[in-house]
Amino acid sequence: MKKIIFLIIISLFICTTTVEAHKVSAYAYREGDKVIGECYFADGSPCQNSPVEVYDSNGKKILQTTTDEKGKFSFKTQETGELKIVIPAGEGHRAEYRLEGVKRAEKKEIKKQEPVKEVEKKQTPSVNSEEIKQIIDEAMDAKLQGIRSEIMDLRKQMDKINIRDIIGGIGYIFGVWGLIMLIKRKKNAS
Amino acid sequence: MHISEGVLSAPVLLAGAVLSLVGLTLGLKKIKNEDIPKVAVLSSAFFVASLIHVPIGPTSAHLILNGLIGMLLGWSAFPAIFVGLLLQALLFQFGGLTTLGVNTFTMAMPAVLSFYTFRKMLKKGKNVAFIGGALGGASAVLIGTLFVSLALIGTEKSFFGVAVTLFTMHLPIALIEGIITGFVILYLKKVKPEALG
Repeated sequence: MKKIIFLIIISLFICTTTVEAHKVSAYAYREGDKVIGECYFADGSPCQNSPVEVYDSNGKKILQTTTDEKGKFSFKTQETGELKIVIPAGEGHRAEYRLEGVKRAEKKEIKKQEPVKEVEKKQTPSVNSEEIKQIIDEAMDAKLQGIRSEIMDLRKQMDKINIRDIIGGIGYIFGVWGLIMLIKRKKNAS
Repeated sequence: MHISEGVLSAPVLLAGAVLSLVGLTLGLKKIKNEDIPKVAVLSSAFFVASLIHVPIGPTSAHLILNGLIGMLLGWSAFPAIFVGLLLQALLFQFGGLTTLGVNTFTMAMPAVLSFYTFRKMLKKGKNVAFIGGALGGASAVLIGTLFVSLALIGTEKSFFGVAVTLFTMHLPIALIEGIITGFVILYLKKVKPEALG
């Protein structure tokens, strides 16, 4: 019995250095009509060469791709509704991520830009609006890149196993068995 | 070897739940009150063991310790493993609540099988006990991979493909667990022989 307790304590120490999990997580975001995502195990290691399935809001499979050696994937889609990205990582592992639909908000921005355009060039406003939209998109993407990688890091951090959870879990287990013991004792007494 | 949520079909989930329920009731009935601390310790050992990963090639597999738990607890391995899995599902999102039944059965049933097959060897001399422990620990892991592959029959295309992958992935794990289980049994034999009944 002592040995077993010893084993648990040793395990705990090992866990603090190499906290790893058996869970697969996925995360994705849109960039224009492109969807970029990453799939990783809870310790942050990439989920390599794994198939990626994309379903639309009706549950219909739209397309399929695979992750590269860094666990990243990307695909182009015209679908603006909610997308469900499923990554069956094999041997019973599976990650799912719901990518919210986008409303084409860019149109409003373009309208705001329109007076400027009219002053500058009255001709071919349609081409111009497209160009401006593209420029804004590019600028935004460049600015958001940092935040996106930050979010990704945060997500990975969140998926990591916390030492508090481990200790808490052991506490819960003893609690549950304590309860079972109590119930059994009452039954035996009556 | 946790099967994630949304992988299995409803009949498989149901079958796993029913089988586990049978094991749970049997296990809970067989536990004597004075054994409960032992069950609790082994339950948390199972809970923690899954966090210890052994990298094997591109993926990694974790320790299970179901053989040890089975040989020390018999049918009570079912509730011990169930509680461990429940907390893993709640705290770490390993497996999931819907697959709890299947996961409990695939890990606890090999444990019970180890109990019936190798229990007699544990009562004999030192060397035989060590070998019994090692075999029990290793076989529980490998039979576990077989059960998991069986559960995945409906979802994965080729049963043999998955079975072979899981089996080879867990060979090193089985080796490590065999050694650990053997030594734990030896130690228990020395300090607390009544634990081996």
